Amino acid sequence: MQFQKEVEILAPREKVWQFIWDVDRFIACVPGCKEAKTIEEGKRYSATMVEKVGPFKVEFPTTIEVLEREELTHIKAQASGADNKIGSRMKLDLDVNLREQGDKTILGFVAGVDILGKLAALGHGIIKRKADQVLDEFAQAVKTKLEGDR
Amino acid sequence: MLRRFRLEEPQSVAEVSELLGRFGESAKVYAGGTELLLAMKEGLVQYERLVNVKNVTGLNEITVTDGSVTIGALCTHHQLETSAALTEKLPALKKLEQNVANVRVRQVGTIGGNLCFAEPHADPGTLLIALGAKLITEKSSSKREIAAEDFFVDAYETALEADEVLTKIQVPVPAANGRSAYLKFGYLERPSVGVAIAFNLYGGVTGVKVAVGCAGPAPRRVAEAEALLEGKSKDEAERNLAQAGAVAGRAAQAISDLHGSQEYKEHIVGVLLKRAFQRALS
Repeated sequence: MQFQKEVEILAPREKVWQFIWDVDRFIACVPGCKEAKTIEEGKRYSATMVEKVGPFKVEFPTTIEVLEREELTHIKAQASGADNKIGSRMKLDLDVNLREQGDKTILGFVAGVDILGKLAALGHGIIKRKADQVLDEFAQAVKTKLEGDR
Repeated sequence: MLRRFRLEEPQSVAEVSELLGRFGESAKVYAGGTELLLAMKEGLVQYERLVNVKNVTGLNEITVTDGSVTIGALCTHHQLETSAALTEKLPALKKLEQNVANVRVRQVGTIGGNLCFAEPHADPGTLLIALGAKLITEKSSSKREIAAEDFFVDAYETALEADEVLTKIQVPVPAANGRSAYLKFGYLERPSVGVAIAFNLYGGVTGVKVAVGCAGPAPRRVAEAEALLEGKSKDEAERNLAQAGAVAGRAAQAISDLHGSQEYKEHIVGVLLKRAFQRALS
């Protein structure tokens, strides 16, 4: 499943960049994400993703690895996790791009999400919709947080 | 494999509600079990307790009173497909029930379970919305009515509170010139699209209700499609059906999946709306 989102933030690019690397504040913007830890500064992180569709609940202990980092411009990261209770795995490939537009910063991201295992029985459509909602909420939360800081 | 759970055997709605309130998310109502047990066997959900509601009396009856048919939440689909009251008063619902899933599911699956599980591809919710049904729910000390159109919140999510129990479904008996139909289409085990229409035919078409289901996360009433048909002559309504179908298709919130692409489902909504209108007239 591929998703592409863009959010316009009324804040300078440096500030958005700093925010992304402030793990605690950044993670607070990811719906259902908790217990974020830095394993290796700027390279490896861990967190637990908890998502729910009606009575179906998944909990993915997730490792996040930063693969590429281009100062103020681009981050490429990969996250993967498994819920052994349900017998499902999640993989996320994330490309984050920042560009300036006047006094605004355009935060764009392309996310490739794969859900494998029994959870897939819920149906591609339901999972896709949920992932889309999570990404929208995330983008909105980042915008609100950064613009609220002004 | 089904994991171990404790089976609670309450005898009244108040006891069911009390158990649900006490054990919260670790307990779940168990009626026919046709969907719940499958999900549990797959390990997709786990509950420490199942609250068996089948011992609660008075919830598996169909009664006709004061212009409405009241269906107990524990009525099985088989009970509904063979009900004389439905044959006489709600033939569209009877027809729908004859085509729910398969004979094994219809024998044990209940209408209440079907509505509360809120599986997106379920049939009954869509027609109940078009028929203007009310869902009667109870807690230990209170009772409320939820319009069918307000009951379905999202995929697998309803307006029921944690300790609330669906006890009855009240469906108004259509007027003498009332017409209704539900049509579905799909090529997998569950339907891709379901469309329901209900209206009165007094010279023109009035009291129109249109609902779509299966295509999106939950069944929805489509007021914009109804407005295109409401108050029109039969011929005029027929001419507007294509436009109403397009509006209903967009409102279905169709999602692309194995049952078909979004565009395909939206198209089928239009096709089914036209046919359902004709079926209702015939």
